[in-house]
Amino acid sequence: MTQIEIEIEIEIGGKSSTFQTSLPYRPTNNNPLVTLLYQSPHSYILLCLYLCFYYSIQYIHSIFIFHKLIFCVSLYACIVNVFASIIDPKLANTLIRLLNQIAPLENLRHVKRIRKKQLEGGKTELLVILCLASENDSHLDTMQHDVRELFNSYQLSAFITKVCKFPASSKEEWEEQCKLWPTSYHPPTYNIDGITGFNEEDSQSVFSFMRFAVELAKSGDGLVTNAAVIVDPSVKKVIASARDEICSWNIPTNNQTSSFKQPDTCISQSNSNRIIAHDTLPSNGSTSKLKQLCTGASCLYPWRWSEQELYMPNSSCWHPLRHAAIVAIECSAARDRQLFPDLGDNEDKSFELDHMHSSTSSPAKRQNLENVEDTEKLDTLTEGCHSVAARPYLCTGYDIYLVWEPCTMCAMALVHQRIRRIFYAFPNPNAGALGSVHRLQGEKSLNHHYAVFRVLLPEEVLSVEL
Amino acid sequence: MASHEEDCSPDTLAFMELAIQQAKLAMDSLEVPVGCVIVEDGKVIASGRNRTTETRNATRHAEMEAIDILLEHWQKNGLSKLEVAEKFSNCYLYVTCEPCIMCAAALSILGIKEVCYGCANDKFGGCGSILSLHLGSSEPLKSHGVPQGKGFKCTGGIMASEAVSLLRTFYEQGNPNAPKPHRPLAQQATR
Repeated sequence: MTQIEIEIEIEIGGKSSTFQTSLPYRPTNNNPLVTLLYQSPHSYILLCLYLCFYYSIQYIHSIFIFHKLIFCVSLYACIVNVFASIIDPKLANTLIRLLNQIAPLENLRHVKRIRKKQLEGGKTELLVILCLASENDSHLDTMQHDVRELFNSYQLSAFITKVCKFPASSKEEWEEQCKLWPTSYHPPTYNIDGITGFNEEDSQSVFSFMRFAVELAKSGDGLVTNAAVIVDPSVKKVIASARDEICSWNIPTNNQTSSFKQPDTCISQSNSNRIIAHDTLPSNGSTSKLKQLCTGASCLYPWRWSEQELYMPNSSCWHPLRHAAIVAIECSAARDRQLFPDLGDNEDKSFELDHMHSSTSSPAKRQNLENVEDTEKLDTLTEGCHSVAARPYLCTGYDIYLVWEPCTMCAMALVHQRIRRIFYAFPNPNAGALGSVHRLQGEKSLNHHYAVFRVLLPEEVLSVEL
Repeated sequence: MASHEEDCSPDTLAFMELAIQQAKLAMDSLEVPVGCVIVEDGKVIASGRNRTTETRNATRHAEMEAIDILLEHWQKNGLSKLEVAEKFSNCYLYVTCEPCIMCAAALSILGIKEVCYGCANDKFGGCGSILSLHLGSSEPLKSHGVPQGKGFKCTGGIMASEAVSLLRTFYEQGNPNAPKPHRPLAQQATR
């Protein structure tokens, strides 16, 4: 068995320690990165992981580690540069008001505009953020025009400092952030379902479904698109699956699209359908040539739809918003309408895990529901309900597997449809909304939060063997 | 983004009134009352209202409904992708509630010209409340010629009180379609 040597640096509370270890598997198409790395008392710690070879990934932030498996989220630069200045405390109110008008810190609401610094001898000084600085050019000339005017008229002296790009999602992370520049922290009022760990069986099924998604992504005529597979993890069954359909799509007939699975396979409990077996995947012929074609994934370049002339010349239907996740949601809704045509009759049996709705009825109940143990009880209840054909509310309790990190539109659609967990394989640096550009799972104001996992796969899995 | 009704042109108010009509249609069908119209050259070319309950698809917001009507219509008329993109770039959206993050992202993808909305959406809003997708990419030209998020002009607060009162009425009477346990009927006003 091949080993990978890796060096890990862990930073907790400002202390850093380094150790070396080796991974028992080298990730290949069939052999995902599965290993015992480090067990932490916290399920969520800040950690920098350097994979010395095989991956070009450098800093991996916010990594979840379980006893058998590594998944990680949000690998991207989590820091932005801002211009800051020391100010006269008497001017603080005026300046803050003006700055909030001319240079509001859009998308950095968690960052405090002002910072008080204790100096030696009991003195304090006030620092204020003027505006965002560009990534590469720290020259004052790049400062926003009206901020520079303000800056000149109050004779401030600016310097570059760093702040955290995303709100902290744990107290530990917040404490780390505040060392850089103070941020506000709101403890999560939600409970991240399903990250209490993955056992061997769960991790096998995660990889099976991800492989299914990858094969689906490659199933077009040479064009690799994104693919989405919605799964009911309690019975390990595919609820809906779809590829991007921005170039051509089948008009739904009878309220269902071509990718909609027949209901009998969806509700059947037979073991044969539980896990997508490896041998049911399209078999790969002999490798003659590897060809990389990834630009077809809609989420990677959502704004490019008008530039792509029809890929299939005979298709008359196209839709710039029919990304894989959107289509999969539509399929699962169609399935729901077909399986449970009479909404009223099923209402009594339907269950609901929506904390927001239930929380409005009584605050005490809300506390209860957010308790992990209680939620687990609810989950158990949920599994029991499937056998009596209870109808889940939207995609509550379901997982989705995506080959690429979804764009903002798709990520928010998955919030609306109440997906429980998202698994994706490859990041989307241009438009990804689960850490790359935005990070919706950390937006506390949303009424639903899914847990996000990245499944590490080698890029070769995307190669189309011709 | 703040705007006051006194500053609005009569046209703007008239279009928003049509959007509110759509929201009322949604309410009549026991849907969350949000409606919209899309306007090109001073004419309404599509309207939409929430259909999330009926479709059991929580992404079927008013904006998405109206966009789908246009895409279907323009394709039937044989317009190419470039022509459709050109069309969208001349369209104005009037919607009773600030577009959510999903819809704001969709509007950016389509390259809409301008959005006018009624009340802010402080849970999901993608045009200033939670994210500011209408501003486009905050890091222009980050990558070599790859198109980044397109921004659009966005004005809020147009006939906001009407939009809010529809939503309030809806939630006060309780959402009869909400799965159990749903909020108690007529006990709590929303905010």
